[in-house]
Amino acid sequence: MIVSLSWLRQFVDITLSPAELAHRLTMAGLEVEGVWERYAYLDSVKAARVLSVAPHPDAQNLAVCTLDMGSGQPCTVVCGAPNVRLGLLSALALPGTELPGGRTVAQSAIRGVESFGMLCSAAELGTGPDKSGILELEKGAPGEKIASLLNLADTVFEIGVTPNRPDCLSLLGVAREAAAVCGAKLARPQIILPKGEGAIEEITSVTIDAPEHCPRYVARVIRNITVGPSPFWLVDRLLSVGLRPINNIVDVTNFVMMETGQPLHAFDFDLLEEGRIVVRTAQDGEKFITLDGKEKTLSSSNLMICDGKKPVALAGVMGGENSEINPNTKTVLIESAYFSPMSIRKTAKNLGYHTDASHRFERGVDPTGCSAAAARAAQLMLEVAGGVLVEGEIDANPIPWAPKEVRLSASRANAILGTGLSCGQMRALLASVELEAKTPDSDTLAVTPPGFRVDISIPEDLVEEIARLFGYDNIPVTAPMLPMEIPPPRPAMSFRKKLRNIMVNLGFFEAVNYSFVAADTPARLGLSADDPRQATLAVANPLSEDQAVMRTSLLPGLLAATGRNVNLQNRSVRLFELGKVFFARANAPLPEERFMLAAILSGEQKPVSWHEKAAPIDFYDMKGAVQALFESLKIKDVAFARPAPGQADTLLPGHCAAMLCQNKLLGILGQIRPEVCANFDLKQKAFLLEMDVEALRSITPDAVAFAPPPRFPAVLRDITLILNKSVPAEEILEKVRQMKHPWVESVWVFDVYEGKPIEKGKKSLSLRITYRADDRTLTDGEVNALHDNIGKTLLNAFGAKLP
Amino acid sequence: MDIERLKSEACGQISVAKDLDELNQASVKWLGRKGALSDLMRRIPELEPDLRRDAGQKLNALKKELEALLEEVRTRISGSALALDEGLDISLPGRPVPAGSIHPINQVMEEICDIFVQMGFDVVEGPEVELDWYNFEALNFPPDHPARDMQDTFFVSGDVVLRTHTSSLQIRTMESTPPPVKVIAPGKVYRCDSDVTHTPMFHQVEGLLVGDGISFADLKGALTLFVQKMYGPKTPIRLRPSFFPFTEPSAEVDIGCVICKGSGCRVCSGTGWLEVLGSGMVHPNVFKNVGYDSSLITGFAFGLGVERIAMLKYGVDDLRRFFENDLRFLSQF
Repeated sequence: MIVSLSWLRQFVDITLSPAELAHRLTMAGLEVEGVWERYAYLDSVKAARVLSVAPHPDAQNLAVCTLDMGSGQPCTVVCGAPNVRLGLLSALALPGTELPGGRTVAQSAIRGVESFGMLCSAAELGTGPDKSGILELEKGAPGEKIASLLNLADTVFEIGVTPNRPDCLSLLGVAREAAAVCGAKLARPQIILPKGEGAIEEITSVTIDAPEHCPRYVARVIRNITVGPSPFWLVDRLLSVGLRPINNIVDVTNFVMMETGQPLHAFDFDLLEEGRIVVRTAQDGEKFITLDGKEKTLSSSNLMICDGKKPVALAGVMGGENSEINPNTKTVLIESAYFSPMSIRKTAKNLGYHTDASHRFERGVDPTGCSAAAARAAQLMLEVAGGVLVEGEIDANPIPWAPKEVRLSASRANAILGTGLSCGQMRALLASVELEAKTPDSDTLAVTPPGFRVDISIPEDLVEEIARLFGYDNIPVTAPMLPMEIPPPRPAMSFRKKLRNIMVNLGFFEAVNYSFVAADTPARLGLSADDPRQATLAVANPLSEDQAVMRTSLLPGLLAATGRNVNLQNRSVRLFELGKVFFARANAPLPEERFMLAAILSGEQKPVSWHEKAAPIDFYDMKGAVQALFESLKIKDVAFARPAPGQADTLLPGHCAAMLCQNKLLGILGQIRPEVCANFDLKQKAFLLEMDVEALRSITPDAVAFAPPPRFPAVLRDITLILNKSVPAEEILEKVRQMKHPWVESVWVFDVYEGKPIEKGKKSLSLRITYRADDRTLTDGEVNALHDNIGKTLLNAFGAKLP
Repeated sequence: MDIERLKSEACGQISVAKDLDELNQASVKWLGRKGALSDLMRRIPELEPDLRRDAGQKLNALKKELEALLEEVRTRISGSALALDEGLDISLPGRPVPAGSIHPINQVMEEICDIFVQMGFDVVEGPEVELDWYNFEALNFPPDHPARDMQDTFFVSGDVVLRTHTSSLQIRTMESTPPPVKVIAPGKVYRCDSDVTHTPMFHQVEGLLVGDGISFADLKGALTLFVQKMYGPKTPIRLRPSFFPFTEPSAEVDIGCVICKGSGCRVCSGTGWLEVLGSGMVHPNVFKNVGYDSSLITGFAFGLGVERIAMLKYGVDDLRRFFENDLRFLSQF
């Protein structure tokens, strides 16, 4: 909402500086979001004296003038005004000046003569109605600013009006607040109508078929008007609040809307068939063309203003082409109605309109203000367009407004606010915004809110009024008194925090990606049609195709981020994300939301350095990271297995693993298929880890049981086996573990080798076994015997050989 | 003859020698020809004959022990000298160990939550895809009400939305817990808006405190405490009236601009104030919707945008950077 200080001053005597007024309004709840000088655009318009006038060599109606603009350096300007003459002091707009009509003055050649700036008329400058010639200044000196010579000063405020305060979508409403914060009185404009001719009931009628949509409709008629441009004062007012003048009749409706907050519509009465108004809902499929030339298909929820035959306006939103004011209009019917906010909102939203009228109606206009607004419009139309008023008004009001008293206990208000205001103080605060309170007893304030305050219906609404008018700054600062309590533990949250810290300690950077992805993401991830991650939840109104569905995996975000980083020359990427994925459910309105942990590694394991060569990241970097994660969480017994079909479609077969614990799938890891990487614009190898956070938490021990470190020394023995390449190392380790010999403490692979001199299809695998007894130091003989025995068992079990 | 004392003094002096000079002095003093040990050796004949043998053995053992110690210290000292001589180029970079970091938004969210947890708030969370009831209706946003325009909503279906605020947790918490309630709800929220100052997903921390006799003055107290903990003890705070459907009275909370300290700058648009929070007293309709008796209890709620606070804290110029996951950005935090 834009208001100008000069317009506000019509209703309230404001002596505060604009900055102070803006501050006080803001602190009373009308947030002033911008303050500017209305005539700032005139800063580059200076007084200039005509030093010479010569005819333009190439154009009969133009003159070439030299001007003294106070700089000591005369300039040349081409001018077409009839009144330009030697010695005249006029207004020169310098290049760059933006005139109110939207035109920007430029230094340019006019018919071959270079013109520095433009001599302007009052109309061109937006300072007066005269456009017959350039401005003639009576006083002043060249170079002085026009604005100060003409005493032009006005401040414009842009106010962010909250949806609960439609009363402040008007100059009078803002003036009421200004009066309250200035301690001044509000003066309303006088409405005096001449006695009309005839009687309105004789020439028209209003029938309301949908009273719940339109509780009240006031109409007035004026005959013999002359449609034309508005006088300067009216144009000036509209321009001051950012509205575009159209013609005198439409301008009056807009002026009154800005002044009172009541949107009005003016019909060309002669275009209304049967000369009457019918308010009804549309028929499904009915078509209608609004003023802006758009054809809309209506439904039965849209309220229409009709004449005797057809719709003529989309009620409360926009008029129709078929009845708009035009240069030939002679008789005008003024509509001033109260429409149901919900009805207008639905219509505006469904049909895609947002107009000054719908903005006000859907928030709620003053149901008691219709008649006054219609009269005000009639008064002004008679003034600016001539014509003869038809006596009387039609006031169809099938559902009269019923004011409701709101009672507030002063002590409760003080309890809510933490204040100690007296009943009388509260009453005075309320009265400052025209909320008159009765005090039936010493603790009760009874307020019947006026029609313009649609936001007040319960006691708390009055508490808010008292608080804001008293000033939030004046309310004390206290500490809440509540029993001491320690919040309960939140294990799931603590676990996620711990996971994040572990990932960071493993050298990963945390990423945060949007929760929505493109609809074809599951396909781009290479997931099969029956993969559960195909069950995406679609957003009905996404901002872009890339954000059409909720993610079912964290991978797409990480892949895209990795691709972006590589393109930005961050070639080694270590990212993780911990966040939710969403699975649509057929039998529930809300999706299943599941926390996942995912990580991606790509590029080099270590950057090339003076210590060693660069090494590309491989599967075992990711496996090492996840094993360290398990170790940090004290999780034992995780098996790494070949993924079952469908478990890891995104990953390269043979280069990926499923992680299982007690036969429960925790997640997957491995190399991402190159074609999947390519789908996300990533051109280098990448390795993924994705785990279900809750599955991981379910196997994480809560407590650690201490075991004393061994007291006796260990003996280490190595063995190297030559065996088939296809035998997984884990099987051999498992075989050793299965022997369950109490002296075997651990077994570890310390070397794997393929190639010469090892036979093709075979590999050499070196194990280190740690032997230890818990009651004594083992002798060499004992260990050697056991180690030989284990070696033999392995050779037999796997058809292996010693090197 | 006090062999033990000699031993402890000699060992002490030898082992603290800092360089070869000191060590040589100690060596002469204790083991030299005119040293303390030789002196004792020379006095053996003065002893009773049956004690001589024992004393001789002890002194010889001590001599060996001191010589060994001397050698050990000598190696250490000359080793250090040698090591310094052949020293490393310590300016070469160390062997790289990757160091990651928590995303700045989560760092700030954690910081915010920690402050409220210290003030005794419990932390709750809930679904990001939410029923209209929890996101809007129970929070006193009637259907087809313009207040819903304040939040550009992503819809999944008619009554399922991506939550536009974590205020939905107010309802979920009060529905399942009798008063008093003292919770914060951090999390992701969604609004369909995207430009330099808006991203379609961002983070919020909502707070709710409900109990007997909780007042607007208490709201001011709690938020002042938070702001001064987060931004420093001298940070001014001001509340100004605003509108949220689920609070009444409602307040926007401004803090003195942390960049210009109130004198006016580009960040605060010259006002000296920065809007960081929305808050207010819980609306009676919200209490009614969760089955609380608003004649018995009152409460306050507040919500703050994590990105906004993070931008101020780190001086980040463009909100969208938080979601690009550029390692050159992430590694700065």
